[in-house]
Amino acid sequence: MTTVAVTGWVCLLSPLTAALLITLAGDRLSRRGAGYLATTSTFVSFGAALVGFMSLLGDNPEERAEVTTAWTWLKAGSFEAGLSLLVDPLSMMMMLIVSGVGSLIVMYSIGYMDGEDEERRYFAYMALFVFSMLLLVEGANLVLLLAGWGLVGLASYLLIGFHHERPSAVAAAKKAFVMNAIGDATMALAIFLLFWKTGTVTFSGVFDGVDGLSNTVVTLAALGLLGGAVAKSAQIPLQTWLPDAMEGPTPVSALIHAATMVTAGVYLLVRLNPIYEQAEFVQDLAAAIGAVTLIVAGLIALVQWDIKRVIAYSTMSQIGYMFLGAGIGAYSSAMFHLMTHAFFKALLFLAAGIVIHALAGEQDIRNMGGLRDALPRTYRAMLIGGLALAGIFPLSGFWSKDSILASALAGSTYDKVLFVIGLGGVFLTALYTFRMLFVAFGGERSAYAREHLHDTSHGEAPFSMGAAVAVLSVLAIVGGWIQIPGLWHPLSNWLDPVAEPLVEPSVTQDWVTSLVSMGIALGGIWLAWLIWSKRTVALPAWPEARRVLEHKFYFDELYDQVFYKPAVAIARLLGRSVEEPLVAGSIDATVSSVREAGRASTLIQTGYLRAYALALMTGLAVLAVLFVAFR
Amino acid sequence: MMGPEVTWYLIVASILFTIGALGVLVRRSPLIVLLSLEIMLNGANLALIAFARHQGDADGQIFALTVMAVAASEVVVGLGLIVAMSRRRLPLDVDRMTTLRG
Repeated sequence: MTTVAVTGWVCLLSPLTAALLITLAGDRLSRRGAGYLATTSTFVSFGAALVGFMSLLGDNPEERAEVTTAWTWLKAGSFEAGLSLLVDPLSMMMMLIVSGVGSLIVMYSIGYMDGEDEERRYFAYMALFVFSMLLLVEGANLVLLLAGWGLVGLASYLLIGFHHERPSAVAAAKKAFVMNAIGDATMALAIFLLFWKTGTVTFSGVFDGVDGLSNTVVTLAALGLLGGAVAKSAQIPLQTWLPDAMEGPTPVSALIHAATMVTAGVYLLVRLNPIYEQAEFVQDLAAAIGAVTLIVAGLIALVQWDIKRVIAYSTMSQIGYMFLGAGIGAYSSAMFHLMTHAFFKALLFLAAGIVIHALAGEQDIRNMGGLRDALPRTYRAMLIGGLALAGIFPLSGFWSKDSILASALAGSTYDKVLFVIGLGGVFLTALYTFRMLFVAFGGERSAYAREHLHDTSHGEAPFSMGAAVAVLSVLAIVGGWIQIPGLWHPLSNWLDPVAEPLVEPSVTQDWVTSLVSMGIALGGIWLAWLIWSKRTVALPAWPEARRVLEHKFYFDELYDQVFYKPAVAIARLLGRSVEEPLVAGSIDATVSSVREAGRASTLIQTGYLRAYALALMTGLAVLAVLFVAFR
Repeated sequence: MMGPEVTWYLIVASILFTIGALGVLVRRSPLIVLLSLEIMLNGANLALIAFARHQGDADGQIFALTVMAVAASEVVVGLGLIVAMSRRRLPLDVDRMTTLRG
């Protein structure tokens, strides 16, 4: 095996080993020990990914794809799926993000989860989550991809429902699982279709075979795969699970939003670009879904008061940008935004976690206020995250978001419409981000905050939490500098052999977009400052609009009416008209007939010895007569 | 060694058996029921021995010996029960022992 292959396996198996060890060791491992073990294993993954990256960097750019097969996993007739990993520039980038950001979040959890009753279970799940995501990005065929896809769903279910004593957490976990299962189902169907038509499930084989397929087949397959991506990435119309997923512990939210889970959809779109390019309609649809989601999520985020929910909606919105980018064919831009988003979104969540920790679990930003003086470092970290999210020069979000928007500007008329929508999203992003910052950190300290704020004189957070936030702050600032339009673009050079971009913005377009979008973002921040900090501009009091936003555009209510209620009604009806009379009825009838038969047969048991003797004798006599008569 | 035909033996055996059976059916004292049972067993034994002689074979005789052994044990248990009942001053009447009624 080559170095790249070895590092791929080490990277994948290290978190799995940790998860198994923590599970098997049980009480023999201290709670702290479980945290250290999980953290070490993810850092080992990251180290392996780094080594693999270096080694891949030394290869010829056209030959940077390596498939390594451990053994043939499934074999039936002509069907064959190996347990094989594909390490190429795209999966290497995902491996670095997943294991890098993931390990920082797991390290942060050591401080955050300190004192929880079930730390071991938590860390085993976290390691499993990282493993699942690595399997998803490293799998070399569609079956392994689907396996990773399902495992990610499982791990997220376990972690969202980590506080299983809270009914709301259990409900949120079930919701996430069911929503994801819809996507898994459409994706599995698409994979069946692709295997049926091309006879193989390996990426390279499917990509070779996809040219010869009819338009309908490719469109159907691409639609099914898009369904999986939409569910996992929480895009409209399967987005409702993501805000509820905030029921999990804060580092879990960070992991779901930054490193694992929601980015899987974008990875899928980029990885399967040869399929999507054959199905232009689906590609346009993906871009449109991204555009709609980024606006809708941005609007909803404006009225949320829960600090984690604001950040959650911002994730939906940012993933919308990535879908937009992947949909118009700006693959490296989408991946670039995925990376910077992982940095600043993990930063925002982890910093929010410190705030929540300091306020004894409070998440409502109205109960915070004035935290700037109490938690100055956390404030600075949040500010960095917020500025990066809003896309302010020279932070990471600025480079990556504008690279997507510039590609949209360079594309067709359809893409230009998306460009305008994207600019609207930039305004909303700046507005809701700084609303959160101004309300939570600016102004007077609220009564709640005065009462509950911990003494922070000995530091704002334990070392493991502070260190993770510090590293992510630096990454959120410098993460975007690896791609500067007109100057250098190592990232596109790295990714282009895997996913050739369909649109290439000129340097002018890039810089024009950057200036315009930053102007808009600054406008958004200024407006947020006027409304929520200076309070000179009153919010327009559109009660209808506010109600619609507070109900998240009535998606939950709609699904309740369209799916949940009819399903319950049908179940009730079937229960009344089929289950009760037929199933339960037949069982009741059996029971009562047996009982009646038993009661009747007890009449024979008189207890009179002579009656029994008479029965015996009569029987004997009858037998004797029969024996003689029919001999 | 000629005797009467095997039929005569069988007739005697069936008469004995019937007397015993009637005794079991009509008498209410457990002691008499037990005695009647012995008569039934002896009727069966007679049939076995008659056939054994008729066939010129020892199997039936061995069977009859076994039946006697079983009958002896049965009498021990039965008489034991009856003694125990009379010790407890229970009525010696099979029609009044109906605890097993369903």
